[in-house]
Parts: sequence; structure tokens; C-alpha cells
Amino acid sequence: MNKRSLSAMVPSLYLVLFFTYLFGPLIIMVITAFNSSGFPRVSPWECFTTDWFGKLAADNKLIEGLGNSLIIGVGVVVVAIPIGLAAAIMLSQVGPKLRASLYTIFIAPILVPGVVIGLSTLIFWDRIGTFFNAPYESFFYSGTFLTIIGQVTFIAAYSMLVFLSRIQRFDHTLTEAALDMGASPTQAFVKVLLPFMAPAIGSATVLAFLASLENYNTTVFTIVSSSTFTTVLSSKVRYGLDPSISAVAVIIIAITLIGAIIFECRNRYMSVGWIKVVADRPALKIATHPGTVAAILAVMVLAAVGFIKSHDSSACQAEILNQKRALQQQLMEQQAISTPAPATPAETTTGDTAPANPFGGANNNIFAPQNLGGSTAEPEPEPAEPQSSSPFGKGNIFAPENLTTPPPDGG
Amino acid sequence: MRDLFYDLVRRNGMPVAIYLMLAVTLWVFILIVLPQLTMFDYSFRLNLPPGKVGGPEDVYTVEQYAYLFQGSGGAGNINTLDLGILFKTLFSAVFVTVFDLLICYPVAFVLAKSSTGAKARLLVLALIVPYWINEILRAFAFRILFGSTGVINEFGMGLGLWDNPVDFIRADVALYAGLAYAYILLMIFPLYNAIESLDRNQIEAARDMGASWWQVHAKVVIPYAKPGIASGMTMVFMLTSGALAAPQILGGPSNLWFTQLVYQWFNSGGNWPRGSAYAMILLFVCIALVLLTMRIFKVSIGEIKR
Repeated sequence: MNKRSLSAMVPSLYLVLFFTYLFGPLIIMVITAFNSSGFPRVSPWECFTTDWFGKLAADNKLIEGLGNSLIIGVGVVVVAIPIGLAAAIMLSQVGPKLRASLYTIFIAPILVPGVVIGLSTLIFWDRIGTFFNAPYESFFYSGTFLTIIGQVTFIAAYSMLVFLSRIQRFDHTLTEAALDMGASPTQAFVKVLLPFMAPAIGSATVLAFLASLENYNTTVFTIVSSSTFTTVLSSKVRYGLDPSISAVAVIIIAITLIGAIIFECRNRYMSVGWIKVVADRPALKIATHPGTVAAILAVMVLAAVGFIKSHDSSACQAEILNQKRALQQQLMEQQAISTPAPATPAETTTGDTAPANPFGGANNNIFAPQNLGGSTAEPEPEPAEPQSSSPFGKGNIFAPENLTTPPPDGG
Repeated sequence: MRDLFYDLVRRNGMPVAIYLMLAVTLWVFILIVLPQLTMFDYSFRLNLPPGKVGGPEDVYTVEQYAYLFQGSGGAGNINTLDLGILFKTLFSAVFVTVFDLLICYPVAFVLAKSSTGAKARLLVLALIVPYWINEILRAFAFRILFGSTGVINEFGMGLGLWDNPVDFIRADVALYAGLAYAYILLMIFPLYNAIESLDRNQIEAARDMGASWWQVHAKVVIPYAKPGIASGMTMVFMLTSGALAAPQILGGPSNLWFTQLVYQWFNSGGNWPRGSAYAMILLFVCIALVLLTMRIFKVSIGEIKR
């Protein structure tokens, strides 16, 4: 009996491990967005801060990229959905042999590496532009146009798969009935098949938009000199890790979770069992309506935004700054005691730096690895300004925490 | 093609048939086939300044392909660097694919055979949610996790497993973990679809006849799920070997992914024909590898479904 319950636990245990792999990295990333440390990390924990969100709101490049991404996303949806729908309908109406070969062609863009799709789109339209002697400002060379075209190539295939799974459940006798009752084939299509496909059009639109927003491999080639949200994000990540990227993740994860919660609530609300339960309980019915849930979540989001805007961690950050200074001062003194000779590297270096800043600068840290607080690879610039008494004083120009802190009302 | 069109007209009426044909033709020819052919053509050309394109020097050549094998040293020389990167990319992609299969198979099996109703739906939702988060951010999360002050290093050193921070980025551990993470969903769903349609009675029958759990999987479930396994592996392999974001963010400074070479020839290298040739090589080598593997395991392409 005992052995049996143990072996029954193995699958659950495995699922827990698996979902830890799936969610662990995301959770850690979310936590780093609220640590005031200039490098995204969980430990050492410095201060709870919401400043990274303010920094994000002030990032014009990211906002501009987001704007481009939204335009491209809408463009992709407008072009890819009709194509995917047409492809799915065609597949459902042809014979099995043609169907198999068409399916192979239609599915190919999903398997071809995104890099290859991006390159071929870029080259193809460049050639056409050259052929027509089009000026460089024309749409053949426009990053937005090329990106829409490049992304549609494979996103149309995604949406086709969504439509296919819906159309497989379509009862073709419905169309026949409409035809028998005197509808023209076009009317049967518009009044019977299209309404049946409507829910799939909705989910394919969401899928296509999200796929467009997050695509990188194709976009990085087709975007040319412009930028999208994802390409800006990628260059941010590659040229320096900074917790404001974690803040982006927090926002995206929040949006995703809200979407998932509302979606799940809608499913449960529409389920047959629940409709029976709430049939004679109007209050419960209203309370579990997805709209109510959405409203509650919206209030929570507003509260979170208000909190982020008003939360001020500068006092705690000043404290941390002072602690670091004290620690550094202490280490300096220790160093001075242990190495009194002026020829030691530490002494020489500090002597070389600007007189107004005798112990400051990154040089100092090279010789005082203890100052790094356990880190060795990511040098954390120490705000070494022993003269400055106020954390808001002039000396803090060199303190990275303050550089990145927007004015409290700036967000 | 004319028969197809007439058939569509008969079923849907003229306007709808025109829409269907037009949309699909545009997609297949303007978006898929012609760009690929243009790139194929382009990869056989020399890298000429715009003024000389179409001139007498604009001839077909295999120089761009030869470069992968010979480098700039000419015949006899072997471009070990680029070839090495190609093999490393393929090998790593195979490794990531197999790893994904191993970790996803139990999940897909539990999901398909032990979970029902609301619980299964919630699990599926939990699987999908991480995939709505931007690819770049997912790679960034692994960068934080595996950094020298990251949680894994702090944890390992805290437990006393190792004394100095391990450079997981340079060792490519972060890259493999991130790539495997990126395409889990594409492995689970084909597996899930395949296993779900297996009749539970078959498993019961095998058990009744005395098969151990291992034999049940090896003799009943896996042979049945072979098409699903094949399509999951194909997808993960193709996408992993063609990945660009994760290697750029998680790759070690001296370890390049083959797509990064393509990227370099296009951007900093300024040699588009060579970039095209490299992209073509990647595409063909990957397809060849997939087809070869299917031949070995006796799976036909027709069996692959989503």
C-alpha cells in the first residue's frame, strides 16, 4: 500500500520539477525587477524599488519600437488571417492527394529557419526594387513593409493551423442544406461557413498578433534601419544587463497572466455545468462573469501602477549607499594599515586619480575585490565619494543608482 | 490548377473562389517560393558594388559555397572555424532536441493519460503561458539565472558544492538550458496529441499480460506515438538550429552559432551573397539530416501531423 502511494507520487513530483523549470526563471526575473541593485540579481538584496519601471517609461527607443511593433502587428494580422483562412478552406475542399502536397508547402514556412525567411524576403524585395529602379524611400526598402511581408510568410501558416483544427469539426451537411434551400454558393459561404469560423478568427488574430510582436529571427533582418520592440529589447540585453529589462518582463507577464485568467474564467463561465449552477443565482452569475473578473483585475492593475508611481525607495537606497561607503572606508583603513609603503598598487592608483576624488573610480575596485560583495564577474561601480555627506549631493553623479533614478513624478 | 479553380467555383461561387485562389497564390509564390529562389540565385553570385550588378562581371560562381570549406586560403585550405561552427551547431541542436524529448515525454504522457477535464486544461494553460513571453526575455531570464552572481551559482556555493562561481555562460550550459526551454511547447503538443489518441485499454491489456511499466512504454506507447515524436523532434531541431536570439544572448563569447555567421555576413561583413550561401547551406543540411533520421527510424513524412 505504502509502496503504491509512493510510486503514484512520482508523476506529480516530476510535474512539479518540470513546472519549476518552466516558471523558475521567470519568477526570478520578476524578483530582480524590484531589487535596487544596478545588476539584475536576487542576492544580495539591496532595496525594494519600483524605479526600474520609471526608467522604462522614460526609454524613448523602447517606446518607439513598441509603436512600430504595434503597427507591424496590425499589418500582419490584416494580411495573414485572410491568407490562413483561404489556405485552410482550400485544404478542406481538395482531394486527399493534392491535400497532402499542398499541406507540405503550407507548413514549410514554419520549419524553415526564421533567419532564412528574413534574408530571402530582404533580398527578393531589394531585387524587385532595383529592377523597377525604385527610389530608396519607396516601400521596397521600408523596414515596416518588409517585416510585415516576412512575418506573414510563416504567421499565415500558424493561423492556417488554427483554422484547420476548427474546420475539421465543420458539418458539411449545413452547407448542403443552405444550398438546398436556395442559397447561392457564395451566400452559403458567407452565411454558414464564415460564422462557424468566427471564433477561430478571433483566436488566430490573437495568436498572429502575439507571434508578430515577439518575433526576432526574421525581423532582425527585415527591419533594416528601423526598430521593433523585440529588436530594441535584444540590443538592450546584448549591450548591458539592467533590471529595467526585468521590469519589461514583469509588465508582459502581468498582461499574459491577466489574459490567461480572463480566458479561463470565460471558459468556466460558459461551461454547461456552471450555467446550471448559476441558473437561479443571479448574484453568483454576475460575480463570475468574465467582465466582472476583468474589472476586478483592472482595479488591481491601477492600484499597482499607483503604487509603482508613488513608491519612493530613495531613503533605503541612501542607507545602502552609506553602508557601502562605510565598508569601503573600513577596507581602505585596513589596507592602509597592512600596506603602509607608498609603493603598493592601491596607494599608487588612488594617488593618480583626480584630487577631488581620491578614493573613487573603478580603478579602486580592481585592487579591492572585497568591495564587490561576493561578485567577481559583474563589477559593481562603487559610489566612492567619502567627502559627500548628503546622498543627494553633487557626488552622486557617479552613483549609478541615482543616475538611473528618474524624478519621483517622472513616471 | 484550372481543375482546382473550377472545383472551388462550383463549391463556393465565383467571388469566394477568386479570393481563395488569389490569397493562396500570393502566399505561396510571392512570399514563399520566389524569395527562396531569389536567395538561391543570389547565393551563386559575387559580392559586387551596386554599379557592377548586371554588368559583365556579374557571373554565376560557387565561390560563396567554397568559402565555407576553404576559407580565404584558396584550394587545399580548410575553413576549420566555420565548418567547426556548423558541426557544433548541428550537434548541439540534436542534443537539445533529445533532451527536450526526454523531459517532455513523461509530461505529455501524464497529461494525456492521467489528467482529465479542468485539471488538464489548467496544465495546458500553464504550459502555454510562458510562451507568450518574449523570446528575448526568456533568454534574459536564463542569463540572470546562470550569471556568476546568479541564483544557481549562489545556491551551489551556499551549499558548498563549488567554491568559485562557475562560468555557465562560457560553458554553454546556459545556452543549452535556454534553447531547450524555448521550444518545449513544440515538443509537448505533438507528443500529447499522439499519446492522447492511444486507447487506454491497450495499456491495460499490456499490463495484464505482465508487461512492466518500461515494457508498456517501449512496446506499446512509443511505437504508437512515433509520428508525434517525429514531428516534435523535427520542429524542435529545425527551430533550434535556426535560432538566433538565444545564441546571441546566452552564447559564450568564443562560441558562435551558425546563424550568427549568417548574421555577421549580412551586417558587419557586408557580403550578402555569402550570407545567402551560408543560410542555404544551413537549410539544406538541416533538411537532409531530418530526412535521413526519418529514413533510419522508418517514419514517412506523410505520417507527420500536428
